[in-house]
Amino acid sequence: MKPVVEVQDYSFTYQDAETPAIKDVSLTVREGEFVCVVGANGAGKTTLCNALVGLIPHYFTGKSEGSVRINGADTAETSVSDLSNYIGLVFQNPFNQLTYASGTVAEELTYGLGNRGISREEMRRRVKLVSQLMHIENLLDRDPLELSGGQVQRVAFGSTFILEPNILVLDECTTQLDPLGASEIFDIVKQLNASGITVIMVDHDMERVAEYADTVVVMERGQIRLAGSPREVFSVSDINRYGIDAPDYVKLSKGLERSGLSDGKLAITYDESLVMAKEVLEH
Amino acid sequence: MKIEFNNVGYSYQSGHQALHDINLCFEGDQSVAIIGQNGAGKTTLAKQLNGILRPTQGSLTIDGTEISERTTAQWSKRVGYVFQNPDDQLFLETVREEFAFGPRNLGVDEATIDSRIDKVAALTGLQGKLDVHPADLSPTEKKFCGIGAVIMMDPDAVVFDEPTCGQDYVGDVRLHDLIAELKREGKLCIAISHDMKFVAANFDRVVVMCQGEVLLDGTPQEVFSQVDVLRKSYVTPPPITRVAQGVGLGKTVLTVPQFVETLEETRAGLVPLLKTSAINNNHYEIVGHGGQSSMTQRKNKGNECQ
Repeated sequence: MKPVVEVQDYSFTYQDAETPAIKDVSLTVREGEFVCVVGANGAGKTTLCNALVGLIPHYFTGKSEGSVRINGADTAETSVSDLSNYIGLVFQNPFNQLTYASGTVAEELTYGLGNRGISREEMRRRVKLVSQLMHIENLLDRDPLELSGGQVQRVAFGSTFILEPNILVLDECTTQLDPLGASEIFDIVKQLNASGITVIMVDHDMERVAEYADTVVVMERGQIRLAGSPREVFSVSDINRYGIDAPDYVKLSKGLERSGLSDGKLAITYDESLVMAKEVLEH
Repeated sequence: MKIEFNNVGYSYQSGHQALHDINLCFEGDQSVAIIGQNGAGKTTLAKQLNGILRPTQGSLTIDGTEISERTTAQWSKRVGYVFQNPDDQLFLETVREEFAFGPRNLGVDEATIDSRIDKVAALTGLQGKLDVHPADLSPTEKKFCGIGAVIMMDPDAVVFDEPTCGQDYVGDVRLHDLIAELKREGKLCIAISHDMKFVAANFDRVVVMCQGEVLLDGTPQEVFSQVDVLRKSYVTPPPITRVAQGVGLGKTVLTVPQFVETLEETRAGLVPLLKTSAINNNHYEIVGHGGQSSMTQRKNKGNECQ
């Protein structure tokens, strides 16, 4: 698969900051890949997201080195609106995502499409599709200011999906949702990924990361410390030193091994844990 | 400290009724998690606890005194409320001033305030940040600054709205230690959370809300064993609990050590192995949205005040 995101020796220092927020970051993401970026708060995850969609350097000013290319286009030389044809970001704080320039959720959803000169007919088609996908059909006529945190988060997702980007960047975007609401959104993301959309997701829920990611990228103090498959990354025994915790599935594998109940195999997903526990019971 | 809800209902001015006929009692040094779907009434319930919102039906008493008899400012020295978004709470120039503001307004002497600042700074991990402007703190630090400012008033009860939201691993560990310390000091801790691992690891009692009513109320073991009822409020048990349920272990486990122990007991024939259904416990089919699913009301009278 061809690379769609190419970050090369990239560093960025916010204006007035003394130290770079991200430093010497190199990362290649291939078309259709599901990448999860994890790390402690302050590790540089959100800065990386902003750099991918061009908000850095076009909106946040500072000093950058190295390069970020999206579908071959250098983000420093491409406008945020042109980049948004390929790559969409769902913000960490959904209240920062909505324009609130519109009176209704439907107008909020079509804001980006209007700016692109998409026909009204096509707008209607996409609003219908996205509002069904995000279960916000009943909110279309509501004032965005009157929505709950969870509802705003769904609208924020919708306003990104509706632009039909090939690459989705999700920055801890389900923090306001109840557990099933969050799983449901991740199921949608997984479906989009299965249909060929590239996903780059920042998340603190390690069980979810282990379940979904093709590649896990661990950031610490602005740098990438580890990158590999969930199995490779979560096999690292002192993972806590990077400010993250192993999934409970991995802790269970290790607990079973310590008690002499397993031979040290590592289960990193729900299904693998289930199989492992059943094997223990059968022997 | 004893907070009693007697048939409490609450309607917003728009006419939307967010709470229906709530009967609950929070008492002593309990740690209580309030969970449930978006819009279930969790924050509305929590805001009743120090009178930020007041019942429109029924009555709420704190140590026997009707909530209506005092102002929220008066109650807030007994019941501290930590907002979900620290930006809604913080407004002073430094962390130290944020910490000193509450107790100083309550007339606490400066020497006591200073000693509390040392203690609370250690608990919140903000020792080196006392002279920093709250706006210059990281999101995690800001959250702990908001928590610290409330604990500084030494309330008998602390209410947290989504304390783990946006927290990382280190923040989760710090919150765990902080809640344990508050419990040691005999304080009532009540937290709203969507993070089931956090709930299972830190709380003695779990109240599940659904459409403005209490759906379940019990120990984490009792509550997380009721998978089907939980689903009505869009809640799933923590991952490790779901694996145990998928295997059919005859006990509800909440932690990895409990899982290993229960597996050993099951092998030894001390714990029965239940038949598991064919449904994949890791994937839930969702029916009905926006809280329109039908549900049966469940109440556990056992947790109401005697």
